[in-house]
Amino acid sequence: MTLTRLERRWAEAAMVAIFPGSVEAGLAGIGAMQVDAFLREVMRTLPFRAALGVRLAVWLVAVAPWFMLRRFATIAGLGLAERERVIARLVASRSYAVRSLALLLKAIGALLYAADDRVRRRMAPPRPRLAQLRGRAPAV
Amino acid sequence: MYPEAPESAPADEAFPADAWIDGARSTGDLEEIFDHVVVGSGASGAVAAHALVAAGRSVAIVEEGPWVRTREFGDGVYGAFKRMFRDAGAQVMEGRSYLPLLQGRCVGGSTVMNSAIAHRTPEDVLDEWAERFGLGAALSPRALEPHFEAIERELSVRVVGDEALGENNRLFLEEAAAEGLPARRMRRYENGCRGSGRCFTGCPHGAKQGMNVSYVPWALARGARLFSSCKVERVLVEGGRAAGVVAWTPGIIDRRKGHRVLLRARRGVLVAASTVQTPGLLRRTGLRGRAIGEHFQCHPGVAVAGVFDAPVDMGTGATQGAESVSLRRSHRIKLETLAIPPELAAVRIPGIGRELMDRFEEFAHVAMWAVVVRAEAEGRVGAGWGGRDRVKLSLARADVERARKGLALLARMMFEAGARELWPGVYGVPNVLRSIDEVRWIDEAPADPRAFGFITTHLFGAARMGVDPAASVVGPDFQTHELEGLYVVDSSVFPTNLGVNPQHSIMAMSRLAATRIAESRTGRSRPPPAHAAA
Repeated sequence: MTLTRLERRWAEAAMVAIFPGSVEAGLAGIGAMQVDAFLREVMRTLPFRAALGVRLAVWLVAVAPWFMLRRFATIAGLGLAERERVIARLVASRSYAVRSLALLLKAIGALLYAADDRVRRRMAPPRPRLAQLRGRAPAV
Repeated sequence: MYPEAPESAPADEAFPADAWIDGARSTGDLEEIFDHVVVGSGASGAVAAHALVAAGRSVAIVEEGPWVRTREFGDGVYGAFKRMFRDAGAQVMEGRSYLPLLQGRCVGGSTVMNSAIAHRTPEDVLDEWAERFGLGAALSPRALEPHFEAIERELSVRVVGDEALGENNRLFLEEAAAEGLPARRMRRYENGCRGSGRCFTGCPHGAKQGMNVSYVPWALARGARLFSSCKVERVLVEGGRAAGVVAWTPGIIDRRKGHRVLLRARRGVLVAASTVQTPGLLRRTGLRGRAIGEHFQCHPGVAVAGVFDAPVDMGTGATQGAESVSLRRSHRIKLETLAIPPELAAVRIPGIGRELMDRFEEFAHVAMWAVVVRAEAEGRVGAGWGGRDRVKLSLARADVERARKGLALLARMMFEAGARELWPGVYGVPNVLRSIDEVRWIDEAPADPRAFGFITTHLFGAARMGVDPAASVVGPDFQTHELEGLYVVDSSVFPTNLGVNPQHSIMAMSRLAATRIAESRTGRSRPPPAHAAA
């Protein structure tokens, strides 16, 4: 299964809201990475049912502004802050299906974003020697 | 005859060059004949193949997935999912909630990406199997003892050393000791672990003694042949007994691309395809027993993350190095440490957008501990869309309550250990807990599997062993009730789950089965005498 160009654009808009980067931390957002190519690759790799789940997730997020903001716009038509609010509400939804699908996009985005060397260095700085951490081991 | 490899090279570089047939590179149909064909190269298949070949039998190992060598391991999760995990890591169990189910699909199976934890089968579990399923003579502690000992010796089972302990594990042990909770360093299959925290994506140093660097290449070195990237369609039945397997190289959907691999077995076929895949293979072979696919069980687990002031750096140290099994019998739970790669951790970090980005920097200060439940729930492995294997299981309320209790205990331990905030990851509970008093939120969380981020890797049943053919699939001799010469030697045959990590039990039982089969003249496993029961 493949996503259409429009679906990939929606997915990327959602992922950019989830992983916007941080100017203060010097971290680029996921938008600076190869999201489109990654999504195509993921959809080729996933089995049919999982890929169908991704497509459902993309549509859910894409049209969420209609029923959350009462606005006739897709997720890609919103500003970053509004996108973030919409997705935050989906992730916290009372509906298990809704929050699971929204989290699926976060999970797929994380596979790309947290694999980036710069992001990894931020999350897990160069490793201190174990001895330097605390230098003690319990007598257990 | 052996490929050139430096002396320090992992074992997956040193075996006879003609011992490995890569189905992905096949150029035509194949047909070969052996004494035994073993389906699967994970914990059970690799050990069985090695035991058979050591007994002088000719053996073929057939593996659906590719052989990813140590030198090819990266540290990216997506690459590992794509190459080495079933369904690219997207496999789930269906029930009241979707429960992610991680399985290896490569040479070595799940031992390539698990944490290599060695636990002997608890004796109370063996007692239960003896009492409820009549397996006392077949699977007694005395019968399993020599196999545990051999495996422990051959795979260098050892307690996590100081050099590989890491702060995540150390914090757990220290806090457990302070609380009076019996806990210990884990025993693992490893030889020279550097604590690189990369068990999940394949040990880059060949230190973890997964089947890919141990029993598989050892079996090849003794004369076995490995057929990787070959998916077994069915067991070949001739003259009323299992006579081999029919497998296909990649392209099975469009057979013009794939090639047929026919492997004949003079003395029997051993199925070690895993709990999820074995029932489907038995059905495709024509077996119709009512118990096939039934009584599937698992160990669901759920983790809590805590942020400490000092760095924890859970990527340094044993991926899983400390545990407490003291609540296994009384509460059916096991507590343990867990380190996950950044890509998976990013999903567990609360929030999205700016909040998520701010928390990313705290990852180096995060510890993660998990509770694993010996679940009572039973599910079913059946056929899904397109002939795919489908697992259905809904956790029982009691299972969720036990997980919740264990999670709350771990949360309190984390605060006592000095965590400044916790990320419980439970729906209905605040994303961030900032004091030990707030752990009551976890106590009060709904006992609903949809509220928790469960994941499972330990699978049991679905081709249960027993003496009653109406209620089980294989007998105490590991042979199927329905077809002579067809054995099941993986954790499908476990009558119940264990409450501890199952790899050691899987390997010991497989070795026991293969040894008995090899000792017989016909290839048929002989049940042990009744006095063998402990």
